[in-house]
Amino acid sequence: MPPASPSPLPSPERRRFLAGLGALALAGGLGLRPTLVDASFDPSRLRQSMQRQYGQRGLAVLEEWFELLERLRDADLRRRLEGVNDFFNRRVRWIDDIRAWGQEDYWATPLEALGKGEGDCEDYSIAKYVTLKQLGVPGDQLRMIYVRARIGRGRNAQAHMVLGYYETPSAEPLVLDNLVPSITPASQRTDLDPLFSFNSQGLWAGGSSESRADPLARLSRWRRVLDRMREQGFI
Amino acid sequence: MSLIKQLWLTIAVLLLLAFGGSLFIGVSTSRHYIEQEVEIKNADNANALALTMSQMEKDPVTIGLLMAAQFDTGHYRRIELRDPDGEVIDLREGPEQVEDVPNWFVDLVHFDVRPGSAVIQDDWRQYGTLTLESQHSFAYRSLWRSTLALLGWFALAGAISLALAAWIVHSIRSPLRSVVEQARDIGYRRFATSPEPRTRELKEVVQAMNQLSTSVAEMLGRESERLDALRKRLQHDPVTGILNRSAFLEQLAIMLESHDRRATGSLALVRISRLGEVSEHLGHAETDRLLKTLAQELEQLGNVRGEGVAGRLSGSDFALLVPGTVEPAPLGRELTHRLGTLQEGLEEVAVGLPSALIAYAQGDRPAALLASLDGALATAENRGDLAQLIAEGPQRLPLFNTHADWRQALTQSLQDGVYLGRFPVLDAEGKLLHLECPSRLRLKGEWRQASVFMPWISRLQLDTQLDMAVARETLREIDRHGKPLGINLSPASVCNARFVLDLRGLMQSYRHAAAKLWLEVPESMVIHDLESFRSLCRELQPFGCRLGLEHVGREFRRISDLQALGLSYLKIDASLIRGIDGSREQQTILRGMATLCHSIGILAIAEGVDTLQEAELLHELGMDGVTGPGIRQLDRPGG
Repeated sequence: MPPASPSPLPSPERRRFLAGLGALALAGGLGLRPTLVDASFDPSRLRQSMQRQYGQRGLAVLEEWFELLERLRDADLRRRLEGVNDFFNRRVRWIDDIRAWGQEDYWATPLEALGKGEGDCEDYSIAKYVTLKQLGVPGDQLRMIYVRARIGRGRNAQAHMVLGYYETPSAEPLVLDNLVPSITPASQRTDLDPLFSFNSQGLWAGGSSESRADPLARLSRWRRVLDRMREQGFI
Repeated sequence: MSLIKQLWLTIAVLLLLAFGGSLFIGVSTSRHYIEQEVEIKNADNANALALTMSQMEKDPVTIGLLMAAQFDTGHYRRIELRDPDGEVIDLREGPEQVEDVPNWFVDLVHFDVRPGSAVIQDDWRQYGTLTLESQHSFAYRSLWRSTLALLGWFALAGAISLALAAWIVHSIRSPLRSVVEQARDIGYRRFATSPEPRTRELKEVVQAMNQLSTSVAEMLGRESERLDALRKRLQHDPVTGILNRSAFLEQLAIMLESHDRRATGSLALVRISRLGEVSEHLGHAETDRLLKTLAQELEQLGNVRGEGVAGRLSGSDFALLVPGTVEPAPLGRELTHRLGTLQEGLEEVAVGLPSALIAYAQGDRPAALLASLDGALATAENRGDLAQLIAEGPQRLPLFNTHADWRQALTQSLQDGVYLGRFPVLDAEGKLLHLECPSRLRLKGEWRQASVFMPWISRLQLDTQLDMAVARETLREIDRHGKPLGINLSPASVCNARFVLDLRGLMQSYRHAAAKLWLEVPESMVIHDLESFRSLCRELQPFGCRLGLEHVGREFRRISDLQALGLSYLKIDASLIRGIDGSREQQTILRGMATLCHSIGILAIAEGVDTLQEAELLHELGMDGVTGPGIRQLDRPGG
């Protein structure tokens, strides 16, 4: 009788084991790890976004903005503030949101404001805030301030927003306003009554620029605009 | 790993994966959701409070009151107000209350909720930063509760799944076991069929094995029928179907020479008087029918009485040999009754059916017995048509005179212990297969052979005691010397369920010895009580002992019914062995029997071998073993 020779085929048990392992790995992959959005200042992405949304004209303005960043990189603080303030006050025409964006209160990103060439008071403030941060001004020294403005002869009260620069947290801020070309200390702006201020401090954990891409971000208008900025390549 | 174990493992792993996975997903989703909700609440409340404070007088009392009001009426863990330089202006803090949740769970879940913070404006300046944390210890509790509830449900679902799995595994396992069992049986050449299971794959296997078994059984049936036809032509009377003269006389001689229960019994002779006249009157065919009927009556009587053998000695003389029946008178009465019935059935012609009986014992000469019977029959024939005479045999002095004496003596000797005779059974190389051990009992100061006491053992119904004593002694003997020993069991013992149980218990205590025990029962057992024999096989086979049949001849054709029992050996009756060297037909029959036995893994052993030449021839014919008066072991004297 011939001896029974063991078959050299690969053991099916091992194959089964590997398949099980694969399934486990797949299950792990399907788990609940939050997706990380890699976010940082990205000129090429900005150019793409601008090209896509506003074409050649928008791109030209964006290039000017890049030049501004380049020019002010080594300038002192005062010149940086003035340069940024002037740039946006000149490049962006003041207009109501309802006319610019077709909705009551739309917070535009700097890219949208520059591309369209039009914007509301908060669009100015946001654009200046982002640009100054890009120029290395610490975020906690910049605050967007809701103010009650008395404009024109009738001194009509109107809701307005300006960007304040606080040298120290307890100091009196410098006001960057789209209605007034020069930057003045707040105490000289008797036409404005501050109500409340905010910035992006504390929105991101540990100062990281990575956001937990959770739906929480889309619930608040301020965070929504920050989110869009990240998508477009600002921060 | 066994299939069943793999199944269980797979089921367990699947259950754990499913339940563990959904538990993990459930808990982590809830955790994420709670974190988000609390975070939104923190941010919104901080902003709302900061907004309110921005519009108010920054008087410490007012600020403090406002914070206290918010803290006391809301659900907060901490509300903190720091001035722009980081100095604490006001702080409200409550304890974290995590009740009835185990610490490890809190550590495991550990909500990571960022506090909400907002800056309070004092005109253009910043008055301070408000940081606010909501109380979220309740979330641990609700999460713990929901985890427990989930676990409870999983335990329930798991229990149901396991019960279901157990049922499935069971429904696979039992047919699988029987398939394995059947395959193993076939491996041992036991070709039994088994019921088809419902599982499709197993069903196909069982169908295939059943087919194999059936075709083997058919082949066995065919072949054994053929051999039986050959044997009948050799040994049986063609008209009546019972043994012919020479075969009957052979049988008688074997019994008279044997040392067991068959050596004592009764012999009856029946004659059809005036057969010539009857034949003339009835015609040839009718006469043959009458002869056949008479033969059948005798055969039936023999079967009823045990191992009876009927034969036709001449045209009109019929004989019946009933071993074990010491008293001829009751047998004679039964015979007369049957003959009477037969005679009444024949209305056209008066048939004389005289008979004569004689008791025989070991050592009697067949010729003398037949002569006495002949004389008695002649006298009976003269007396009348149904006359019967009981002939006087050779004078013998009985050991004991009364039943009571016999019982007392036998019981006593059984208590004293049995002595085992030894007759070797050798294989073709002269090696020992086993030693046959007929029992001896000490009666009146001498060791007496079975032929002396066996009839009385049967009559006093001491079979089970004797067999038990023999079995015990044999197992002890094997335990001492390690040689395989063989004993025979009487049909009365095998039919006794109590005896079978006792024997099983005995073998349990001699497990090693039991594997060297050879047990045999007479062939007639399988005709009379196949069921008892089957249950004996079932009970004892697990011990590894060999089971076999002795004196096999007439019932060899039933081998196809027997093969599924798992028999180890058959001992072929001496009537087929005697004179083997002179008879071609006998050789053909034996060769066929040996071949058939081998095809189903059964040893064929020849009984009653007289000479070494015969033994040699038998081995050439394929017999696995020989035993008999001519067989001696070289190293020790047999018997």
